[in-house]
Amino acid sequence: MENNVIIKISHLFKSFGEVKAVNDLSFQVRKGELFAFLGVNGAGKSTTISMICGQLRQDAGEVEINGRNAVLASGETKRELGIVFQDSVLDRPLSVKDNLRSRAALYGITGRSFEKRLGELMELLDFSSFINRPVGKLSGGQRRRIDIARALLHRPEILILDEPTTGLDPQTRMLIWDVIERLRKDEGMTVFLTTHYMEEAASADYVVILDSGRIAAEGTPYELKTKYVNDTVSVYGASEEDMKRLGLAYTPVRDGFRFSVENTGEAVALITAHPELFRDFEVIKGGMDDVFLAVTGKELRGDNK
Amino acid sequence: MKKLCALVGRHRRLYFKDRGMLISSFISPAILIVLYATFLAKVFKESFVSALPEFFTVSEKIIDGTVAAQLTAALLAVSCVTVTFSVNFTMIQDKVSGARKDLNVAPIGKPTIYLSYFISTVFNSLMVNLAALALCLVYVSSAGWFLSVTDVACLVGDVVLLVSFGAVLSSVICYPMTTQGQMSAVGTIVSAGYGFLCGAYMPISSFGEGLQKVLLHLPGTYGTSLLKNRMLRGVFVEMGSAGIPEEAVNGIKDALDCSLSFHGHAVTTPEMLLVMLGSIVVLGALYFVIMKLDKK
Repeated sequence: MENNVIIKISHLFKSFGEVKAVNDLSFQVRKGELFAFLGVNGAGKSTTISMICGQLRQDAGEVEINGRNAVLASGETKRELGIVFQDSVLDRPLSVKDNLRSRAALYGITGRSFEKRLGELMELLDFSSFINRPVGKLSGGQRRRIDIARALLHRPEILILDEPTTGLDPQTRMLIWDVIERLRKDEGMTVFLTTHYMEEAASADYVVILDSGRIAAEGTPYELKTKYVNDTVSVYGASEEDMKRLGLAYTPVRDGFRFSVENTGEAVALITAHPELFRDFEVIKGGMDDVFLAVTGKELRGDNK
Repeated sequence: MKKLCALVGRHRRLYFKDRGMLISSFISPAILIVLYATFLAKVFKESFVSALPEFFTVSEKIIDGTVAAQLTAALLAVSCVTVTFSVNFTMIQDKVSGARKDLNVAPIGKPTIYLSYFISTVFNSLMVNLAALALCLVYVSSAGWFLSVTDVACLVGDVVLLVSFGAVLSSVICYPMTTQGQMSAVGTIVSAGYGFLCGAYMPISSFGEGLQKVLLHLPGTYGTSLLKNRMLRGVFVEMGSAGIPEEAVNGIKDALDCSLSFHGHAVTTPEMLLVMLGSIVVLGALYFVIMKLDKK
């Protein structure tokens, strides 16, 4: 398998009537990496995920999981995928245990094997206190933990998380991210993530930004930030005359001044050339929010602009 | 097989957890018995008595037994099919709740998923309809009991057959449905119309010739007749023993749809069984084809 690729998408197309939801999409996900798939609502993220999971048949193109065609070898590829859907899809009237038991049986995990796996997941996701409660009576955060437990029941190689932390409290978000990090570290699990939180995408190994079913940009967070957004330099304790000497557009802030440079190299050159001016300063790289805005012209949270 | 059992178990647990659906499934046949006994028994009895030749004297027990057997057979014929439509609710509910997405990503084939809905519908509907059969037998015993142990065993078999027919019919009809509204609309239509179409509410012998011909092409008609034959067999034997001529008994059989004639051929009870079995096979094949053609 080339470069340890675990998911390979090649020239994928999917239309719903006149709407081209996915339009010639190609990308690769490497084993063990955290892959972030970004895009505004309707960009084609969920449609792509549905095709990866075999829920939806593509019009053209190919999806390969671990070197196998996902359509032709759907039974085997399904065992390699664990999916956390955007909305909880567990049976609300049934207890957590009943839900997990019935889903585990679909992977051939029954009896003692199930009890053992349940114990491991209870420890990992800390849900022993509500194991017998109906899923419909759980809080959003508790339910999310059970959704993740369900996805992990069969020890998948790839964990697909479709906006897993949307609407959750910070504590639960942190717990979920701790779990994801542990799974990646301890089990080498590949995580395919869609999210609206840019700070989550910032910690990804690789990012693909989708716009109208096409890739608008891709790369590591560093590459994207370097390519699409400026660095911000804040200078403290300098006078306005000093700033004018630099010949750059600047903005006064409470304790100093702020200006923008194309990249960190430019900032370093300025600092080296004017050491007397840069006695107290900070250089901040542009964030993923800025990358997303620069690439798509849209903000990820709230309405599109 | 384990996966299929796990799915059937899950569907059944969901059905039992829905107390409203569970209670209404069990109460419906009981309510129907009360309604039939209250409003229809008298009409059936008067119509039966008026149809008897003047010079015949038939005991009250035979008359009441005939009416009760006719009513309960009709009730079971309707209940076995209509209950499956409310019990098959899980198939649509899973689409509404998104649970189907979760089942679809598991390593199980679509045929296993759909077979599991069918099997759980059969099990749950059987539970309700066997309870209804027990109630019916209590009612029959209070009116006039002429059934043998074999008749009761055959009735249980007929209920299994009709429930299987109802389950596969509801599976085919409910397959494309995606909302609870569609399901309840279909349930209402089936509940209202099936009793007329299968000859349960009114014997098809009382309909016009054209309509009779149409209804004789529907398998439900034979299911109802099958139940009537079982329920009334003992009564007809008793009528013979009471001195009622065979021609008169045959006339009553015709009037109550126990004897059906398909294009001049008198359909026997084993043939009725075959019609029902054949319908289950054909509808089952249709269910499979629909599922296979559905590329979603």
